Amino acid sequence: MSGDSVPLALPLLRLAAGSSEVTTLYRELRKPLLRYLVCLGLSRDEAQDVVQDAFLSLQRHLASDGRQENIRGWLFRVAHNQARNRQTSYHRRFHESLDGEMDFLAHDETPEQKLLEKEKFRRLAAAIRLLAESERECLLLRAGGLRYREIGEVLGMAVSTVGDTVERAIKKLAEKCNV
Amino acid sequence: MCDLQAKLIAWLDRELSSDEAADLDRHVKGCQECRGRLETYKKVSETFDVYCDAVMAGKTRRRVSRWVPVLATAVVAGVVMFLSFPPRHVEPPLVLFPTLAATSVKVPLPHAAEAAPRKRIRRRHAVPPIQEQAVKWQPTETAVQIAIPADAMFPPGAMPTGMNFIAELSIAPDGSVQQVRLRQ
Repeated sequence: MSGDSVPLALPLLRLAAGSSEVTTLYRELRKPLLRYLVCLGLSRDEAQDVVQDAFLSLQRHLASDGRQENIRGWLFRVAHNQARNRQTSYHRRFHESLDGEMDFLAHDETPEQKLLEKEKFRRLAAAIRLLAESERECLLLRAGGLRYREIGEVLGMAVSTVGDTVERAIKKLAEKCNV
Repeated sequence: MCDLQAKLIAWLDRELSSDEAADLDRHVKGCQECRGRLETYKKVSETFDVYCDAVMAGKTRRRVSRWVPVLATAVVAGVVMFLSFPPRHVEPPLVLFPTLAATSVKVPLPHAAEAAPRKRIRRRHAVPPIQEQAVKWQPTETAVQIAIPADAMFPPGAMPTGMNFIAELSIAPDGSVQQVRLRQ
């Protein structure tokens, strides 16, 4: 699972507002949250704002003795909802060309290898655009390291539905990308 | 097609129970088709992960590159403006503070009096001509000239009533009085 590459400290037990555990949580989850929001279509600045707001909400949540189960899912859900409210154009998602950005992916490769890599990503980008919204969001949250149960909480879906959606999305990408 | 293929991605994501995972583990070892599919799903997941990183890196880089030309243009324009219109050095006016004795005497300002529109005021009593002389007087070379009534300079009775003198003071750059000259 791609999420295994992002080590996240769980379970988070008895967090207190302003404690060092919240700071640790911020360090661990800031990047996955930013990446998720940017991939949803937010600009970098918008994503930064949303992450800040989400952690401020977490502080208030903990100060008011809110639930402490699945804080990671809770944060992603807050960020997801704020991102939905901020998005001016839903169609911006995955629609921007990444031709320029592909260069940094393969510095040590030959021009042929670079070309093949670019082509692979171009096919993947096209395939992602064809996915349903829920499929795309499930894959993004999964890439952010969330378990199916947490993805279900963020998107308001049953765990079994998340499993089916992830499977369907991965199979679609595998079929269209031919990786 | 294997019946367990539907559980391959969940197994990859470690979402199966320990019993189910153990069953699938045994099955994958003996099923080449499932191993191949598993490899494909792994590659797709990894490629998707790298793609997300590329999206994020791209947005960061685009944000910087968009502002660089704008900032560079603004800096160049500022430099050109600065070189075209250098700031002029303006000399501050020399301010000379009057002494205590001088401040007690009213001195008409010739230029201010000429510039201000004259009002016609009918007076019942004639204004003494003491100020007229000061108004007509024009400064020549001295820095400050102050008219002082004679009563303020001489003891009572020493000078006829209504007689005035004009004191010409030459002020040094450090503010001290260099020369005092009295004239009628």
